Amino acid sequence: MPQIPQLADQRILTPAQVALALNIISRMDFLRLKAIARLHARGLPPDVGWEDLLQEAFTRAMVGSRRKPQGVAMVAFLAGIMRSLRAEHWRRARGGPASCETVRIDHQRDLSHAAELRDPTSDLEQSLLACEQIDAIERLFAGDAVALGILAGLAEGRSATQIRASMRISKTVYDSARKRMRRTLLREGLTCGLN
Amino acid sequence: MRTKLTLTTPAAALGRILDQLDRDLIEASDEDIMEAARDLGMNPMMKGSAAFLGLQCFSLAEFFECDALKGLLQERAAQNPAALQAPKRTARRPKSDRAN
Repeated sequence: MPQIPQLADQRILTPAQVALALNIISRMDFLRLKAIARLHARGLPPDVGWEDLLQEAFTRAMVGSRRKPQGVAMVAFLAGIMRSLRAEHWRRARGGPASCETVRIDHQRDLSHAAELRDPTSDLEQSLLACEQIDAIERLFAGDAVALGILAGLAEGRSATQIRASMRISKTVYDSARKRMRRTLLREGLTCGLN
Repeated sequence: MRTKLTLTTPAAALGRILDQLDRDLIEASDEDIMEAARDLGMNPMMKGSAAFLGLQCFSLAEFFECDALKGLLQERAAQNPAALQAPKRTARRPKSDRAN
């Protein structure tokens, strides 16, 4: 006669664990996604953790509310879901569709002649939260002047070429700094959940 | 002359940073992850590695062993002493009796 398993022995699997069990992602992808979730959670309110974001992305992929386009790697697809969840949050926080961040006034592309304007609709609380998170990211690269310079360039929406030109650094120096930044972010991602 | 107006909000700046850094992580190789783990003294290839912490879930056994839950149950029991009494069970008949 078949035995009913002990209830206490049953494990509740999270969507992420199910994906791992079904070989939808590898163990390395799992860690890659953990670091990505940690990163994107920086753009969310403090009460939303990176675990919530990661599980939500897995859930949306598994229930089919988001369809993976052919040829897109699973990690890139799930990262895209997390990115859009974050964007969705900011849109809701602003109370409407995303505002256009850049207004072109001619066809030239020289950023050295860019004028900076404050968005008058920006909510103070959102701005404070974002400033806090930018500071936290900068602290990760404290002492690495090149990395901090790159970060400032990324914040302004500059391309790699523009950043290298404005910082007067070679491609090798730039690439090596990006590699250091990636390793720092991976370390940060691997240690989250330990506290 | 300035030729471009850029609306810069901290939220927009944060969004741009996160979108760019996220690409770096997507493109990170397995070796990059292993190196980062080695820096921390972790071995992701090992079963139960600390690198996977935070991605695990409680088993029901762990849930019922949880100190917070035990404390809550004891607190409730103190408020309602009747709850401490085990329910009366009727004596079970031996199998031989049931067959008849």
